[in-house]
Amino acid sequence: MTTTAPDRSRVWPWIAIVVAGLVTLVAGMLVPQDAVQGQLSRILYVHVPGAWLAYLAFGVTMAASAMYLWRSTLIWDRLAASSAEIGVYFTGLTLALGMIWGKPTWGVWWTWDARLTLTAIMFFVYLGYLALRRTTDDIDARAKRSAILGVLAVVQVPLVHFSVVWWRSLHQAPTLLKPESPDMDGEMVVALLVSLAMFTLMYVAMMVKRMELARLEEQVLRAEQSDAGPVAGAAVTAPSLGEES
Amino acid sequence: MDFGSEWGWVAAAYAVTYVSLIAFAGSIAIRIKKARLKLNERS
Amino acid sequence: MSVSFFGQARTVASRDLLRERRSGEVAWVTLPFGAVALLLVPIAIGTDAPTLRAVGIGMFWVVVMLFGVLVSVRRTGADSQSQKDMVSLTGIDPAASFVGSAWASSLLLIVFEVILGLLTIALYDIRIVGWAWVPLILILVAVGLGLLGTLAGGIVSTDRSAAALVPLIVAPMSVPLLIAATQAFEGLRLGHSILTWILMLVVVVLVLAIAGVLSARPLQETG
Repeated sequence: MTTTAPDRSRVWPWIAIVVAGLVTLVAGMLVPQDAVQGQLSRILYVHVPGAWLAYLAFGVTMAASAMYLWRSTLIWDRLAASSAEIGVYFTGLTLALGMIWGKPTWGVWWTWDARLTLTAIMFFVYLGYLALRRTTDDIDARAKRSAILGVLAVVQVPLVHFSVVWWRSLHQAPTLLKPESPDMDGEMVVALLVSLAMFTLMYVAMMVKRMELARLEEQVLRAEQSDAGPVAGAAVTAPSLGEES
Repeated sequence: MDFGSEWGWVAAAYAVTYVSLIAFAGSIAIRIKKARLKLNERS
Repeated sequence: MSVSFFGQARTVASRDLLRERRSGEVAWVTLPFGAVALLLVPIAIGTDAPTLRAVGIGMFWVVVMLFGVLVSVRRTGADSQSQKDMVSLTGIDPAASFVGSAWASSLLLIVFEVILGLLTIALYDIRIVGWAWVPLILILVAVGLGLLGTLAGGIVSTDRSAAALVPLIVAPMSVPLLIAATQAFEGLRLGHSILTWILMLVVVVLVLAIAGVLSARPLQETG
């Protein structure tokens, strides 16, 4: 049973994404430039929210994984997987924007400060999670395996975090400008909060759509698997002469 | 840092953001459509 | 007469090690592969002694992390579906099976580390300071990586996976092991206390052991 006419519930997420994107763009352009960084500070209004979403999506994936192991209802698996895919996107975007901001600011594409390194590691944890999901079409096995990996990641990531932070504290990088400079003036704070809110709206809207996709793909998988299965009548075969069955 | 080159980096950043956003959102939309088509074929 | 948890684990470990002795995959494939990696690095980055001495220990640990995980996913460590069914029918506690497999992998990893370590010392002209601590570090890393690799292998556990999937999953999560191992050696070289790093290794091992034991039954039920 599918509706063919696009009703409001199916369209609002796309509208929300467009609106959020436009509002962010406007905020990033209207805000005054930073005294020190100049126009480059505008990049932060997409970079910082992206980083926030990367971590939010990661947290949701991990929490939903735990919930799936507890409840075994597939909606948690869909939630975890959807958040992971969106998280990969935003983590990749954050890293790319960080490099685009970093090159003119620091003169290098990459620095090995703790936060960047951790974000890069998190990107690969996500990728591993998504790669794992591709190894099986068995919906329940896929859900359980992914959930266990998700919870393992939750447990290991604090250790990864501590080890990286301690490691960098021993090898102090020269003082670098941090994206959130402590003395941002009022308008910049507002712009940042606006873009954070907009990106969060984007995340929610994308999640709605991505979960719809997850539900549909599950239906397709189930339909394909029931097609492939034998029907009851196949249990009895007609006797044939001479040939071994 | 001169005015021109700064805006170049800003433009690059926003271009990367919005192009990738459209591509990612678009891929979700396309996959939804494909899944619906597959289900319609069967029903 | 039921066998104790560690008795079961020991049986599984012995079986794994016996299989490995027959096939020799670690000895003839994984170890040489790791050795080749250590050989390639100076070819790529230059053979001047100061550079190599500076990167040697780090390169050794990177090779252990990336190539060592192949020890945990060796063919002889994996069961086919019918073997897995047999094992679960025997009523062996899946957690004991996990511990046994991880134990076997860890032992193989210690051998892996020792041989490649000696090779690194030779090729990169490394001077080790604080030899007394070295066995402890090697053992802790081997156990941690063995646990992590066995756990990841259990999670993946399917023929459809790409060969590099388990290494992909393990690599980011092996970062605490990598950092603790390299910083411990660095600390020894500089004469600093390395207790923080030893402690980190112990914590990682405990966390992975608990995670592995707790997830063993759910993973077995997945089939």
